[in-house]
Amino acid sequence: MLVIRPLQENDLDDLYAMAQSAGKGLTTLPADRELLQKKINHARETFNQRIAPEAGLYLFALEDIQRKKTVGISGIQARVGLDEVFYNYRLSVTVNASKELGVHVRTPTLHLSNDMTDTSEICSLLLSDDYKGGGNGLLLSRCRFMYLDEFRKHFSEKVFAEMRGVSDTQGRSPLWDALGTKFFDMEFSEADMLSGLGNKSFIAELMPKYPIYLPMLPDSARAVIGRVHDNTAPALRMLQSEGFNFNGLVDIFDGGPVVEAFVHNIRTVREGMNRHAMVTRKPVNLDVPADERVMVSNRSFRDFRVTTLPIDCIGPDTVSLPPEVAEALQIESGDPVRLAPLKDSGLLTKHSYRSSVSGGASKWQS
Amino acid sequence: MWLVRPAQPDDLDQILAIAGTQCARLSSTLPKQGDALAYKIEQSLASFAGRISAEDDPPRFLFVLENTETGDIAGTAGIDARAGNGQPFYSYRRDALIHASHELGVSRRVEVLYPSHALTDVTLLCSFSIRPELQGTDAFELLSRARILFMADHREWFTPRMAVEIQGVQLEDGSVPFWDSLGRHFFDMDFETADQYSGQLSKTFIAELMPPNPIYVTLLSEAAQEAMGQPHQITVPNFELLQREGFQPGNYLDIFDAGPVLEARTDSLRSLVTSHPMELHGSNEDVGETCLIAAGEREQFRCTLTPVAETLDDKLKVPVATWKTLNRTAGDRVRIAPL
Repeated sequence: MLVIRPLQENDLDDLYAMAQSAGKGLTTLPADRELLQKKINHARETFNQRIAPEAGLYLFALEDIQRKKTVGISGIQARVGLDEVFYNYRLSVTVNASKELGVHVRTPTLHLSNDMTDTSEICSLLLSDDYKGGGNGLLLSRCRFMYLDEFRKHFSEKVFAEMRGVSDTQGRSPLWDALGTKFFDMEFSEADMLSGLGNKSFIAELMPKYPIYLPMLPDSARAVIGRVHDNTAPALRMLQSEGFNFNGLVDIFDGGPVVEAFVHNIRTVREGMNRHAMVTRKPVNLDVPADERVMVSNRSFRDFRVTTLPIDCIGPDTVSLPPEVAEALQIESGDPVRLAPLKDSGLLTKHSYRSSVSGGASKWQS
Repeated sequence: MWLVRPAQPDDLDQILAIAGTQCARLSSTLPKQGDALAYKIEQSLASFAGRISAEDDPPRFLFVLENTETGDIAGTAGIDARAGNGQPFYSYRRDALIHASHELGVSRRVEVLYPSHALTDVTLLCSFSIRPELQGTDAFELLSRARILFMADHREWFTPRMAVEIQGVQLEDGSVPFWDSLGRHFFDMDFETADQYSGQLSKTFIAELMPPNPIYVTLLSEAAQEAMGQPHQITVPNFELLQREGFQPGNYLDIFDAGPVLEARTDSLRSLVTSHPMELHGSNEDVGETCLIAAGEREQFRCTLTPVAETLDDKLKVPVATWKTLNRTAGDRVRIAPL
């Protein structure tokens, strides 16, 4: 059984192994023990509410309970751009027109912006290759929306994600080669690595502050602005199905898009519903396909746990849990839980839900 | 004998013939269209006559180089009393920023072109054209420097600072590397068209179409970067002459072709400093050091080359033929400057 829970001290070794095998693409989780330890400490202080809410870094681990192994991580940063400056380029349009001459020229232009300052970011998603598929990635990503939903006052109304931009197999980014290197003598992979180590704003100090007119960049660079890396396309599709949209901002290094959504519009949030737990001794077959399972959370701030259950377990007021699931969620009969769809097919299409909630979903929303 | 004098309506056809042989950049200050040129000559005459006041429509002077034996016009030269002629005058100011990160121990100098109106309203030398075979001759120097002698005797019409735009790099196929890397994207027209518009139309179209933000030099094509501040081959003699006169390349570039803009303090110009007012007298001999000689106020202004036989106190002895060319007679005041 796989369970989401807050990152813990003893996750360091598993995290380090995962970061090592992930390679250069993941800048938010570099293979650096000291840095990973810092992140774990930061997350521990966050869940224990020992730091200011806006400084919070909520990191969740996906644990294979049987093997006692951490196989994935995902996170929410409560606010970006408060300690250091958070930069993006805004892709906008400059129009130069002369009626006298009948000339009307639209010039796509990149403006340096700090527009995401003070906004919550979902970040740091990494799943072990061995565990890809079967809805595990969805659980790892979507559990965060359940957390955002439960504890909205700790986050901004709008959340965003930076998607990895285009780079080739050697780790070269066409935008970086056309723009970044002109201002900063560094390979993309090195700059990317530094930015993962928290040096992004230092690098930004070296970047151009005036608008960049795209016709002055080569076609290869223009083509990747706002586009994601092939490996990131599934993650983008998942976020889009949750209601995230490209907001016109791109990464200053590789041109990857920023997608955003209002928390109340996120599908996982809209389609969530509350139940009470009922621990049952009846045998439950947990091993059903992903589209027949739902996410179930224990609604705890400090020890937030999420796992998946067959949709058939949902009753009109309760949800039936086998003892091992109750133990994984650290709940007992009668405790409140919250449910949300795991796959895009949702809850409403399932007979067990439809028969029990004739009044529609709205009354179940918190 | 070579004579520089104010352009007259009768000169129109000959000036058009010269303008047609010049390269593109000149068209912004010397129209290739008859009616536009006629208007320019008319305006020049009004300026010489003092009928135009500096406030509303600043004076613009157009001189021609005439071969007095044949009556042929061999070149033109102009002065705009106020650059921009009452409208903004556009340049790029070449500047630098240091992008440095103390934490990362790196520092880089980044060159930036800022759109600028700083040269608006300074006196501008312009409209210089001459038959190619006369490049680098005494007549060439006469045509260029006669303007400065005119300024010396009409100093109150001109400003303490001066500028002159030098044509920038244009390749043999007519392409302009700087334009192709920058202006073309925004103006959506070829260089020659834009240049003609800038001579004919109000400058509004530049305000409308020019990119409003600074430009990073490093994002321009290599050819465009190399062209910045470089004079066109054809203008090199003029470029060098103006530098001897006291003009210096500064931080300004032409917005279309990135040709250099030379600047000078008017009162430091060599022709102003080294020229003297003197009294005209006759000489029987046709020998002596060749000098520039200018005389006449406003529309009467004439400037030519003359051998100077003798200068004594305030008296200048030159051949009587020179008097005739200048339309002056003994005892009149003239201004003399060494070549």
